[in-house]
Amino acid sequence: MLVFTRKRDEAVVIGDGVEVRVLRIGRDSIRLGVTAPTSVPVHRLEVYEQIRAENHLAAATLRSPDRLSQLRKHTIKAAVDPHAPAEPQGSPAPQRSVKPL
Amino acid sequence: MTAIPAEPVMNAPLRLDTEFGVFEVGSEESISFPSGVPGFEACRRFVLLSSPELGVFQCLRSIEGPVASFVVVDPRRVLPTYRTVLSGADLVRLGASPDGALLWLAIVTLEDATGQAHVNLRAPIVINPQMMVGYQLMPSNSLYPLRHPLSGE
Repeated sequence: MLVFTRKRDEAVVIGDGVEVRVLRIGRDSIRLGVTAPTSVPVHRLEVYEQIRAENHLAAATLRSPDRLSQLRKHTIKAAVDPHAPAEPQGSPAPQRSVKPL
Repeated sequence: MTAIPAEPVMNAPLRLDTEFGVFEVGSEESISFPSGVPGFEACRRFVLLSSPELGVFQCLRSIEGPVASFVVVDPRRVLPTYRTVLSGADLVRLGASPDGALLWLAIVTLEDATGQAHVNLRAPIVINPQMMVGYQLMPSNSLYPLRHPLSGE
């Protein structure tokens, strides 16, 4: 691990166009500002790891055929409400999927 | 690198043998995930499969990198009032215009021990069908839970 000492308002640059700057230093926490291209997602580590763990669990859902029938026992009570507010980018959600042969 | 349209990666249709049917998918059905999906970062291309066996669910399955398949559902089927706002950076990443229709999918998990199913409403997958680009949103301040019960039985 590369270790730096930085004062307030000082920064480090990572790769091409990612900058991490120390904005404020508190007693138990520091405030960081991250500037990165939109193609570089930036997340709090614990949020990312939580979602990664959840995705790993979810990927096991179709591991065996009996699990599909188990899943289908779950009926969904709530139907799509036609009066629900539109998605931010417009509604209804477009269909885009492959049907079986 | 911003979101790019799906490039043809397969000449012949790809045959997928699944628990819920056999599918032939062409390159035009391939959805690009430039950052992969957390935990499956090497999976950069997926297809979305529907079948009578899946019912209201669909299957998002990788066709590049390790095999990964997720059961997904429209989050508004689970919670009709579901609404998540995309940031400007999200729109750029998806190559989406503010008024273009997007496809929202929530990942379903079936728990081994209890047989209970829940839906990840916090980190939905968003796909721009015009560009065939998708990614999983990871808001740090979402109102929605990571594990919303799929109402059932």
